[in-house]
Amino acid sequence: MTSTGRGMIEFARQFMPALAAATETVSGSGRLSGRRVGIALTLEPKTACLVQAVASLGAEVTVFGSGHSTKGAVAAALAESGIQVFAEEGADRDRVAELREAFIDTRPEYISDDGASIVRRIHAERHDVLGDLLGVAEETTSGVRPLRVMEAEGALMVPCVAVNDARVKSLFDNVYGTGQSVVMAMLDATNVQMSGSAVVVVGYGMVGRGIASVAGGLGARVTVTEIDPVAALAAHHDGFRVRPLAQAVTEADFVITATGIGHTLTAEHVALMRDGAIIAVGGAGPPEFDPSIGPGLEWGPEVRPKVRALSTGSGVTVFVVADGYCANTSAGEGNPIEVMDLSLALQLRALDLLATGELAPGVHLLPRHIEDEVAGSQLAAAGIEIDQPTEAQIRAATSW
Amino acid sequence: MSGIDDVVARSRVADMTLAPTGHQAIDWARRRSPVLDGFVRRRLADGALTGKRVAVVLHLEAKTAFLATVLADAGARVVAAGSNPWTTRDDVAAAMVERGVEVHSSRRSTPEVWEADLMKVAGTEPEYIIDDGAELTVRIARDRPDIYSRLKGVSEETTTGVARLRQMEQAGRLPMPVIAANDAACKHMFDNRYGTGQSTIQAILRLTNLRLPGKRVAIVGYGWVGRGIANYVHALGGRVVAVEVDPIKALEAHTDGHEVADLMTTLREADLVITATGGMRSVTERHFPALAASTILANAGHHDLEIDVPALRDASTAEDEVRPGVTRFMLDGEKPVFVLAEGALVNIAGGLGHPVEIMDLSFSVQALGCHLLASGDLAPGVHQFPIELDQAIATAKLASQGIRLDVLEEGQSDTLSEILEADTWRSWGSQ
Repeated sequence: MTSTGRGMIEFARQFMPALAAATETVSGSGRLSGRRVGIALTLEPKTACLVQAVASLGAEVTVFGSGHSTKGAVAAALAESGIQVFAEEGADRDRVAELREAFIDTRPEYISDDGASIVRRIHAERHDVLGDLLGVAEETTSGVRPLRVMEAEGALMVPCVAVNDARVKSLFDNVYGTGQSVVMAMLDATNVQMSGSAVVVVGYGMVGRGIASVAGGLGARVTVTEIDPVAALAAHHDGFRVRPLAQAVTEADFVITATGIGHTLTAEHVALMRDGAIIAVGGAGPPEFDPSIGPGLEWGPEVRPKVRALSTGSGVTVFVVADGYCANTSAGEGNPIEVMDLSLALQLRALDLLATGELAPGVHLLPRHIEDEVAGSQLAAAGIEIDQPTEAQIRAATSW
Repeated sequence: MSGIDDVVARSRVADMTLAPTGHQAIDWARRRSPVLDGFVRRRLADGALTGKRVAVVLHLEAKTAFLATVLADAGARVVAAGSNPWTTRDDVAAAMVERGVEVHSSRRSTPEVWEADLMKVAGTEPEYIIDDGAELTVRIARDRPDIYSRLKGVSEETTTGVARLRQMEQAGRLPMPVIAANDAACKHMFDNRYGTGQSTIQAILRLTNLRLPGKRVAIVGYGWVGRGIANYVHALGGRVVAVEVDPIKALEAHTDGHEVADLMTTLREADLVITATGGMRSVTERHFPALAASTILANAGHHDLEIDVPALRDASTAEDEVRPGVTRFMLDGEKPVFVLAEGALVNIAGGLGHPVEIMDLSFSVQALGCHLLASGDLAPGVHQFPIELDQAIATAKLASQGIRLDVLEEGQSDTLSEILEADTWRSWGSQ
C-alpha cells in the first residue's frame, strides 16, 4: 500500500517543476518554519507533493481529505513519513465529520482549503480555534464565492488568498485540467464512445469551457446551457449550440454540469432525458445534481464501478457517474499533474504570503509577480523562451 | 446445471468467483450494442451456425464476451481464448464460463501458458475462427496441420492479421476462405481510427494522470490507428509529430497539419511516444540514447514488442513499477523513461479497450463474417467483407440513433447517359 503511494507521489513530483521552483523560492524566507499548516485539499499524489514541500520548509503539517476523493495509498504513504493524516478512503459522512473536527483540533494557523469547507466550519461552529487561524489559501471557485459573501457581511475574520482567482490557476486548472479530467473520468467509468454523441454542458464558466472544448475535440456535438447572457454569447461564438437546459437534455447522450451551484440539474430534468443518458458532475459535489427536486426517482444498483442507475418509473433509466460527486476526483485521479503543479505552486506561494502577517482580514488576490514567476518556472522547465518588451513598447504601453 | 459444471471443468480461468462484475460489464456492453443485439442477432437466426464449432480468439473483455454469447445464442459451440497474454479480464472470462462458453485464458499469463491456452482451443477442432492477429490460425498451421486442413474459415480482426494471412495465401498455405473483417469499412474506419484513438489517449492519461495540452507527442506510424490518435492528440491540445516510412502516408500527415520528421530527431524532443505501426521493434536499442528524460512510451499496435521492452530492460540499470501500469526504466543510471502497460496494447492492457459503441460495429462485422463463412461456399483465399453487409451494418447503426438519410432519386445519380446521348458527344465521336 505505502510503496504504491510512495511511487505515485514520486512519479508526480517528476512532472511538477513549478512546485519545486516555488519551494526553492519560499525556502529563503523561512516564514513557514515552525508554523502549523493544515492542508485540506483532495488527497492524492499531487497534493502529497505540496504536503511534503511544506513539511520540507519546517512547518508542522496536518492533512484532511474527504472520503470519496482520498486515495488511501497516498494517505498511508504520508502517514508513514510522519505526517498527521485525517483522511480515510471511502469514509462515510459521519466518519469524515469526525476526521474534520480532529483536524481542526490541531489548531492550524494556515490552511489550504477547498470549497472553504474548513474556514466556514471554523467561523460557524469552531470559534475555539478561530484565534489561532492566521490565514487561508482557497483553491476553488466554489470556495471563493462564500468567502466573498462572508467578507461583504463582515463575517470573515482572517485574511484569505483567492488562489483560484489567479490567472495561472483558473486559466489552466479550471479550463484544461478539469476539462480534460472530467471528460476522461466519465469515459473511463463508462467505456463509451464520445465521437458522434450529443453532449450537454451545463454552465459555461472556466470549467464548462474546458469540458465543452474537450468533448468537442473528441467528436461530440456540444450544446451549452447558461443563465448568464455574456457566457452564453461566448459559447455561441465558440461554435456551440446554446439552448435552455430543459430542451437540451431531451436529446443528450451525456449531461455534464459545471456550475458549482447547488440544484443545477434536478429530477425535473432527468424526467425529460433519453433512456441510457449519462450524467456527470464537473463542478461541485451534491447538491449540484439534485435528484430530490421534481418527480420521484429511484436509485438502482451500481451497474459498474462508479456508475449507478437512476430510474424514472416511466421506463427511462439514466446513469450517474460517481453518485453525483465531481467525476474527476471521485471516479478518476483528479486534475492532471502538470496543471496541479501550477495550482499547488500558487498554494505554496499563497501560504508564504499569508505568513508575512501583512494581509488584513478579507479576500486577497495573489500579486502579479508571483503569478509571473510560477508561470515562468513551468515555461523554463519546458524549454520555452518568450520575449521581453522593448523600451519603446514599455513607453507606448504606459503613456497617454 | 451439470452443463455449466462441465464447461467449468473444461475451462481454464483465473477465478470463477470473479464472475459477478464480469456479468455487469457484459450487460453494460449489451445495452450499448444495438446492432449486434438486434440486426445481427436476427441475421444469425437462420440456423447456419447451429452446432458449428467456433473459436473466438480476441482480447477477452466485455465486448468480446457479448459477441461470444450472440454466436452461442445462434447455436454455435463457442470456445474462447485471449489474443494476447496481457489483456484478458478475469472477471469477464469467469462470467463467460457461467454463460456456457468454454474459456482458456487468464490475465498476465506467461507467453508459455498463453500458447498452451491457444493449443487447447485448437484441440477442440474448431471449424471457424474469429481471430485477432491471426494468432490462432498461424499456430494451428504450424503445430496442428491435421486440424488446419479441416478448418472451414477464418474471420480476421486486425490489419496485422490480414497481412499475415495474405502472406500465407501467397505462400500457397491458405486452404480455407478468410474474411478480412479488418478491411470492412464498418471496422477499420471506426474501430482503428476512433476506437483506438479515443481509448489510447484515455488509457495513457488514466495511467499517468498527465496533461495532454502542450505535450509534444511522437506518433510512430500514420495508418488508420496513427491517424486517429493524431487527430485526438491535436484536438486535445497536444503537438503531434508523425513518423513514417511510407511517403504517401507521410505526405498525408503533413497535409493534415502535423509535423513530420524522422524518429531519431523526433525522440529528442518528445514528451510522449506512441507506437502504431503494427510491426515490431519500431522503438529499439539504437533509439534509447535519443530519448529525453522522463519520456513516456506507449504502444497502440498489435505487437507487445513494438516498443522493444526486452532491449530496454537490458539497457537499463534499474526497473520498478512506480504506479500501476507505469514501469520506470533507468537508462545510464540517471535518465528515467516510463513504459506503459509493459509495452502491450495500452488501450486494452492499460484501459478498458475500445468504446462499446465502436465494438458494436466491429463485432457485427465479425459475427456476420463468421455467418457468411458458415452459410456459403467461399473459395479458399482472402475475401473482402461484402459491401452490402457493410452498408447494412451502418444502416442499422444509424437507425438505432434515429438518424435518417436521403435516397438518390432518378436523374441525380449520373450524367454519363445524358452526355452519351448529347449531339455534341456524337459529333466529337465522329471526328
